[in-house]
Amino acid sequence: MIASITAADVPALYEGAKFYSPAVGDASRSSVNSWLAGLLERNGPVPLLRVESLAPETPCVSVCVLGSGSAMADLPPSGDEFVAAVRQIERLQRVEFGAIYPLAAATISALVAVVTAAQLGVPLLDADGMGRTFALIHHTAMHLAGVSPTPLVAVGPTGESVLVEVPSGPRADRMLRANVDTVGGWAALAAYPTDAGTLRRAALPGTVSRLASVGRLLLERIDPDVLVTRLGAITGCRRLARGRIAELEHLSRPSDVTIPAHPSSLVVDEIGGLGRQLRIELRSEIVAVFADGALIAGAPDLMCLLDVSRGALATLDSLEPGDLVDVLVTPADAVWYSAEGMEMVGLASHGIPLAHPRRR
Amino acid sequence: MRARPSTLPITLGELARIRPLAGAELHLADPARAVERIVLAETFDRLRHCAPHELVVLHDEAATGGWSLAAALHLAWERNLSAVVVSRAVAGAASAALAERLTMSLIVIDDDPIEVALQLAGQISAPAAARAQRQARLAELLAEQTGVRGVLGVLNRELQGVPVALVVGEVVVAGQAAALLDRPQAHQIEVEVHTAGERSAARLVAAVPVPGPAAVDQIASLLRLARPSVQAAWARSRLDTAARAAHEQAAFELLRRLAEEPGPVEVPSWTGELGWQVGRSNRAVWLAPVQPAGVPSAEVTHLIRASWQRGPGAWPLIAEGDGWISWHSGADPDDTAALRRALAAFRDPAVAHRLVIGVGRAHDGVAGLMRSVAEARLAAHVAREAGAGAVQWFDQVGAAAALAWLPTAEIAQVADLTLAELMAARDRAPLVQTVLAVLDAGGSLSQASRRLGVHRNTVLARLARARLLGLTYDEPGQRLALHVLCYALTALWSEERQSPMP
Repeated sequence: MIASITAADVPALYEGAKFYSPAVGDASRSSVNSWLAGLLERNGPVPLLRVESLAPETPCVSVCVLGSGSAMADLPPSGDEFVAAVRQIERLQRVEFGAIYPLAAATISALVAVVTAAQLGVPLLDADGMGRTFALIHHTAMHLAGVSPTPLVAVGPTGESVLVEVPSGPRADRMLRANVDTVGGWAALAAYPTDAGTLRRAALPGTVSRLASVGRLLLERIDPDVLVTRLGAITGCRRLARGRIAELEHLSRPSDVTIPAHPSSLVVDEIGGLGRQLRIELRSEIVAVFADGALIAGAPDLMCLLDVSRGALATLDSLEPGDLVDVLVTPADAVWYSAEGMEMVGLASHGIPLAHPRRR
Repeated sequence: MRARPSTLPITLGELARIRPLAGAELHLADPARAVERIVLAETFDRLRHCAPHELVVLHDEAATGGWSLAAALHLAWERNLSAVVVSRAVAGAASAALAERLTMSLIVIDDDPIEVALQLAGQISAPAAARAQRQARLAELLAEQTGVRGVLGVLNRELQGVPVALVVGEVVVAGQAAALLDRPQAHQIEVEVHTAGERSAARLVAAVPVPGPAAVDQIASLLRLARPSVQAAWARSRLDTAARAAHEQAAFELLRRLAEEPGPVEVPSWTGELGWQVGRSNRAVWLAPVQPAGVPSAEVTHLIRASWQRGPGAWPLIAEGDGWISWHSGADPDDTAALRRALAAFRDPAVAHRLVIGVGRAHDGVAGLMRSVAEARLAAHVAREAGAGAVQWFDQVGAAAALAWLPTAEIAQVADLTLAELMAARDRAPLVQTVLAVLDAGGSLSQASRRLGVHRNTVLARLARARLLGLTYDEPGQRLALHVLCYALTALWSEERQSPMP
């Protein structure tokens, strides 16, 4: 547990954010990193607090990036979108938020939460709503705990904003997505306004500091075998298999319409061990791993590929046949293996009607 | 109800040979697997409730590609299904590799899965109809063949896993020799093939693995189906070869007459039309039966031609007398490499047909060819002493060839009349052999005892007894006659030992 986030922590946060969402590309890496590092140098470190260390009545709000990362690289933030979104909810609810927390401690959203906290001069909570990243904004522990995502505000890079108030969480995502393209392809989102007391039971604790620890480990570029062991100590991840990519399949087939994704499939021939044929199903992330046709890992497990030759994470848009990869699986937070969690983000939500290996 | 063989469950191998699977991409792990039911599975739940030996056709949710086919193959393996049928759109190379890894049969189709499943279900419920369909398809394929080898090729291709051969005597004429191997888990079936107006000349032999992809009686009926095609192909090739043989025989006779004319002989241009080469250095080969039995039949000539020309290719083969003439023509009279290769390739057929081979020396031109033919014939007579498969080169025979022409049988009759006492003796063979050895050695007892491998005193004792029985070999006036007599008797008896069954 670190007490605050300084400019020196930014590269580690970025690497850690990548581990928890391997689909993220490197398109906006340097610009976001230098923006955040500059902010932290000017405004000083952002305190990172456990939820329990705040008074229960302290108002808190989560932020994240909505929409596509490549759109964000094309149309970079002018810098005030997140603060504007938070301020709009403050005006609506006539409160002043005492802390910021990331909606998902993964991808670029983990970094923008630090940005927002630094700009507002408030502490960042060491907690989030997903513990990794899922596709829709109601795929959160807060939603499962009965916290409403609304009122929420999305501010686009054009300066336009959308305020959404709905009685049921899933409706919010549908209304929001219709507007994201219009406001510039991505939007700064402020949602789940609540208080620290509620977050003590509703949010997933320790996820931001975990991100920094994972990131620091990945930056060391150590031997893959050592890396997997040490990652395992922090995240509980383990290696399913090591193998060589044999085939990339881009199939067009019916997929679940509620999740925006481009299904494709990856075949990896295991090296050593049983010599199994692994099939890795990709949507916007890895959703399932089959060994010789038997399901051995699947959403909400977090699966990622480690490029063995570089000792670094392989992003899903950089894969080539012939690459030697380690297939890693990390268990998600326990809340996602509940019946409600599985229904929301489990295999069935990706159109795979098979029982999860952890529940068989 | 009486169990009938035709209602046995149909096998995967049989289904794969008829529509709609005939045109499909097959990855069969075991063609002998029985298919007891067809299941059209559209959900994974349906797949989970399949029973062993069912063939499952995937569609809809169960056939969305990528992971779904991999998972379906795994389930099929868990449930011990016979095969998985899926449309091409969702099956990649990796799926075939996985199927192979799980030893699960995978069939990739282009047609609509529902239609395929319905057709397959019909075939499963009426295996007899499906088999009839298969026979019809085989008949169509057989009808397209014009040669014996083509017919056997179709049989071996269509009856996967069942080797089939066409056999004459014990010689495989076409097909796979594996059909004749005596294997523990194979049932051998035979179908006689009668050639036009002949006694049984050939057999179709198939080795059916038991338990195998097809019932024994079904294979038998398919072989009977192939019989007319074999007969037709056989007759056609015989017509062709009979005409050619007569043509070659006449041409060779003409060539022989040319050679007898005085003066140098021009090589006639028509030899080229027959594919013959005569102009250069010719070395003749004479193929002859170990035991001459008159002019060989056209069938035998056909078989010999097939075996001889399999090796040397376009070498001529002309039936003459009780044997066959062939020759090799080349620029270098000392180059025998091609001929030696041909003889080596012909060794097994020569033994099978009980033939010996004589090889003449190399001589130039038409006259030289005739001379080499005479030499080869002489050498072949000498080769008979060594039994079937023997090859004798004239270069290594010399004047001793004269002995090969002795009418041993007649001379032996003379011995019966003039040396009755000797011929009645039980130990006549060693006595005659000993006298022959002494005469061959010019009277030297020590040389003769070395050649016979017995003690000198034994030789002396046998000579004394032989003289007592009338073999007065040491009387100068009788020595030549008795020497010839001893040679003839020894040759005759060793021949009888070699071929106990006439």
